[in-house]
Amino acid sequence: MIYLKDVTKVYDKSKKKALDNISVHIKPKEFVIFVGLSGAGKSTLTKLVTHEEEPTSGKITVGGIDYSKLKKKDVPYLRRKIGVVFQDFKLLPKKTVYENISYALEVAGISNKTIRSRVPQVLKMVGLEGKAKRFPRELSGGEMQRVAIARALIHEPKILIADEPTGNLDPKNAWEIIDLLLKVNEYGTTVILTTHNKEIVNTLKKRVITLKGGKLIKDQEVGRYALQ
Amino acid sequence: MFTTFYRLIKTGFTNFLRNGWLSLASTIIMTLTLITISIFLILNIVLTQGIQTIQDKIDISIYLSDSAKGSKVLDLQKELSNNPDVKVVKYVSKDEAKQRYQEKFANNPQLKESLDDGGDNPLPASLEIKTYNPDKLSTLLPMFEQEKYKNMIRKVSYKENKEVIDRLFKATEFIKKIGWGLAAAFIITSLIIIFNTIRTAIYTHKSEIEIMKLVGANPWFIKWPFLIEGILYGIFGTILALIAISITLRLLSVSFNTYFGSGDTGDQVLGFLMKNLVTLVVLMLGVGITIGVTSSSIAIRKYLKKS
Ligand SMILES: Nc1ncnc2c1ncn2[C@@H]1O[C@H](COP(=O)(O)OP(=O)(O)OP(=O)(O)O)[C@@H](O)[C@H]1O
Ligand SMILES: [Mg+2]
Repeated sequence: MIYLKDVTKVYDKSKKKALDNISVHIKPKEFVIFVGLSGAGKSTLTKLVTHEEEPTSGKITVGGIDYSKLKKKDVPYLRRKIGVVFQDFKLLPKKTVYENISYALEVAGISNKTIRSRVPQVLKMVGLEGKAKRFPRELSGGEMQRVAIARALIHEPKILIADEPTGNLDPKNAWEIIDLLLKVNEYGTTVILTTHNKEIVNTLKKRVITLKGGKLIKDQEVGRYALQ
Repeated sequence: MFTTFYRLIKTGFTNFLRNGWLSLASTIIMTLTLITISIFLILNIVLTQGIQTIQDKIDISIYLSDSAKGSKVLDLQKELSNNPDVKVVKYVSKDEAKQRYQEKFANNPQLKESLDDGGDNPLPASLEIKTYNPDKLSTLLPMFEQEKYKNMIRKVSYKENKEVIDRLFKATEFIKKIGWGLAAAFIITSLIIIFNTIRTAIYTHKSEIEIMKLVGANPWFIKWPFLIEGILYGIFGTILALIAISITLRLLSVSFNTYFGSGDTGDQVLGFLMKNLVTLVVLMLGVGITIGVTSSSIAIRKYLKKS
């Protein structure tokens, strides 16, 4: 599903390698956790997969699409096949929960009829049925994260990337989010989770890929948290 | 398709309203631009038409004495027709002259009836001549001095149209130059102001645009609201400019009427505008929308590059 071959990323403004010669293969329907301290390159890796950033060198192939050959006009369609839950939610403050989700369909040219049937479905799935009319500022962190997940799922993507979705949550809320991701994975979606939460990593017993200073230092089928 | 169209228009409108003062400034400058362009265009057309009217007027009238023999008049008419500088020669009989006089003073009964008192018709018959070139008028004059015609001609009158036309031409050229200059200045100013407004709109929607891109929005879904905002400036500018021009002309015609009694220059210009309203509206919309779309396209290209 996702191939990275010898991928290196150096941001324009810095000389440091954000990612250093990374090679990974993620199979369909897998649940993969990327672990690393702050600055290890987790977000950079997810941005390469969503084509938000381009690699300085190396090759990326997702769902059979070679990114070096991807045309600019095809990027929007790619983005609809990859749902992303951003570290900072990226919700629109002036839109309600419902609108934040329906918006993602609107801008893709989906009909109002489809929108009216699909939005309530995902809201139900993430457990926000009663909060459709609220604005982001009227929600808790966990709830905002659910909205972000609902929006990421709205196009029924093959891949869901969740970049530190539990970063700012208390353990109870964090686990509810993780359970939601597990559920999504059970339905057949490939899930990529980045985190540096030791308890979550050790409890899940999923494939764990550890990054350190941009380098891939460990890739275990049933991994454990392996930093200090 | 229609749904998307509606969504784009709606977003465009919302941006327009949210942009507040900047939208207002853009609309005002657009209105001023369109007013300037229209005024100079109208002036240009009115003056050109004025010149045309004067050029179409008769250049020479030869008033014939009542005793002139018909055959001699025909001779003169023929000689004139054969002259390469002469465009038209028309014979106006005494009766025709009277009829014209009465038409001319139709609403002045006193003058009109002055010819109806049973006496002889005092108005002379005449030959009216139009030339190809008013410059050459003087070369025709010796013809009427000839011995054979001298007795039958009561009076030769010719108008010094050339000078008037020259003056009008100069005025038109001058107005054209000023018009072009002012129009260019206003167009450039509106391009800059609208560009700035759209750029600000893009900045205030920065995070929204980023999110749209990340959730897979079609690029035109991101661009079109800004283009529509540019188009709206053109449309609102046209509406406001039309209102301003009609109000001005109304006031102008009212004040003309008070000064000159039955004078109706303002009404005439207004009538002229009404006749050409569609052309004027199409033209203003064309110019306005072109300015709006150009500014927003540049702003979009400059600030929405990355995918
Ligand atoms: N847009 C950018 N421009 C320049 N440098 C960047 C940019 N984004 C990230 N970096 C650098 O790249 C490195 C990796 O950053 P990245 O955001 O991928 O880390 P991370 O593992 O997601 O960290 P965190 O846990 O804090 O989110 C860091 O050194 C960071 O400073
Ligand atoms: Mg990060």
